[in-house]
Amino acid sequence: MDGIGKLFSGMNAAASGLSAERARIDVIARNIANAQTTRTPEGGPYRRQVVHFEPILERLAGGGSRTTGVRVSRVAADVATPLERIYDPSHPDAGEDGFVWMPNVNTVREMADLITAMRAYEANLAMQEEFVQMAERALRLAQ
Amino acid sequence: MEIHGTNDLLGRLLAAAGERSRVIATNLANENTPGYRRVVLRFEELLRGALEKGGGDLSKVIPRLEEDLVTPARPDGNNVDLEKEMNALRQNRILYESYAAVLATRLEILRSSIESGR
Repeated sequence: MDGIGKLFSGMNAAASGLSAERARIDVIARNIANAQTTRTPEGGPYRRQVVHFEPILERLAGGGSRTTGVRVSRVAADVATPLERIYDPSHPDAGEDGFVWMPNVNTVREMADLITAMRAYEANLAMQEEFVQMAERALRLAQ
Repeated sequence: MEIHGTNDLLGRLLAAAGERSRVIATNLANENTPGYRRVVLRFEELLRGALEKGGGDLSKVIPRLEEDLVTPARPDGNNVDLEKEMNALRQNRILYESYAAVLATRLEILRSSIESGR
């Protein structure tokens, strides 16, 4: 059972990576969808959301801990990137001076993030399929 | 009797793995049902627990369906995660194939011992 348990803990780690990367892809999609949103319930334009990851730690019996996967620790607004300010007096949310505060979403940057997230998702998926094939090869030994 | 007991246990493990794939399919079907909690089928760890306590009658250990209240839920109260279920499905397939392979080998040994006695 220990052998298969080790195999399964590897599969669980890859699965946690899949879930985390999918959460990142969801947030990127939300950012791109809101690239032109100038009014939010919180007031002001939409702010780009960023996903923060953290390792899942497992306590070891003899003290200390080891990493068994990854998870999303929080999704927070990006306050470091400044909001865009454009001149468009016809915009319903334009101020007295004709300027509008636009979201701090850069679509090109989001697309680049999307590609890295998708590559990471695929890598985790390949890892999982590798574990399945390892198990199948081991089973073939018994036949 | 020993042969029958082990084969019976392997048969029950196979049945539990088959049932588990149905449970996972139900979880996947309810991925968007508000308030739905994913269900898990526990059997192997109950057997392990019984063995650690000194064995006893393993035929009395039966599979148990439990709602997963540990995995955090989304705002709609649902805690089904697509990747988690796919992972469970793959692991369950490995378990199913392992049980089937062991059972097939044992039955093959039984068959050849019967035939050698003729």
